[in-house]
Amino acid sequence: MGNCLNTPTADDISLLRGSDSQDGSETANLGPPPPYQESVPIYHPSPNVSRTVTQLTEEEQIKIAKRLGLIQHLPTGVHDGCCKKTKECVICMGEFILGDRLRYLPCMHSFHKDCIDDWLMRSFTCPSCMEPVDAALLTTYETNN
Amino acid sequence: MASMEKRLQKELQALQRDPPVGVKVDTDKLTSNLSEWTVNLTGAPGTLYEGENFVLHFKFGSRYPFDSPQVIFGGANIPVHPHVYSNGHICLSILTEDWSPALSVQSVCLSIVSMLSSCKEKKRPPDNAIYVKTCSKNPKKTRWWYHDDQV
Repeated sequence: MGNCLNTPTADDISLLRGSDSQDGSETANLGPPPPYQESVPIYHPSPNVSRTVTQLTEEEQIKIAKRLGLIQHLPTGVHDGCCKKTKECVICMGEFILGDRLRYLPCMHSFHKDCIDDWLMRSFTCPSCMEPVDAALLTTYETNN
Repeated sequence: MASMEKRLQKELQALQRDPPVGVKVDTDKLTSNLSEWTVNLTGAPGTLYEGENFVLHFKFGSRYPFDSPQVIFGGANIPVHPHVYSNGHICLSILTEDWSPALSVQSVCLSIVSMLSSCKEKKRPPDNAIYVKTCSKNPKKTRWWYHDDQV
C-alpha cells in the first residue's frame, strides 16, 4: 500500500532566515553546522503504545490512516465565548478562550481540537462519556438520511 | 512548561482548594516537575478499612493525560483487598485499558477509595504469591484480567 502518513518536512521560514545573513560578519562566528536532526513523528496505534512509522505493522498503518480519515469527518469550530456551552477542555483542564479551535464529537462533548485529536489517534472513544466515536458517527449518518 | 506539568499544576490546585473526604496530597513529597506524587488515603467510615491510612504513589509520564499514570500502594500498610497485591499493585481497569484523559488524580483516588469501601472480606488476590514473585516493577506492564467488578 502507499504511504499516506505524514513525513517530517523542513521548516521553510527558518531556511529563508538563514539565507539573509550573508554580510560576512556572522560567518566568523559560525561553528561546525549543528548535527542533522529530524523530528520523527510518533504514532500511538493504541493507548500506551508508541511507535515511529518504521515500527508500525501494515495493519497498524491502515488503522492509523483510517483513523486520520474519520477524524476529518468530525466537525470543528472556533470558541465564540458562548457561556452556555462547556467552559473547559477536560483533557488539558484549560478554559476555552475566545478563538480557541474546538472539535465536537457526535455525543455533543467538545474539546480543544489539538487535545482531542491527540487522544482520538490512540482511542476512538469520547474521553467524557467513553462512547465509541465511530458508532456514534454511523448513527448520525443514519438519522440524517 | 510541558502540557503534562500544566495539567498536573491545575489538578494540584483543585485538590488543595477542594480536597475530597479521605484524600490528601502530601505536598512535601511532590517532585519539582510534578511527575511523582504521594497521596494519603483514609478508609471510609462504616467500611472494613475505617480509620486505616494508606499511601498511594503516582508516577506521570510526559504523555499524561493521554497515557495513564502508574499508581501503586506504598508504605507499611498495603490494604488487604482482593484486587490489591501485597507489593502494592492494584488491579483496576481505569489504570490501564479503561483509562481516559478526562480522569484525574482525584477520580483515580475516589475510585480506589470506593473499591476499598465495597469490599466484603479482607483477603489478597488468589494469585498473590505467584504474581508478586514474577511481576514487573511497573504494574502497567502487567496484562491484567479484569474478571470481577463486584468488589
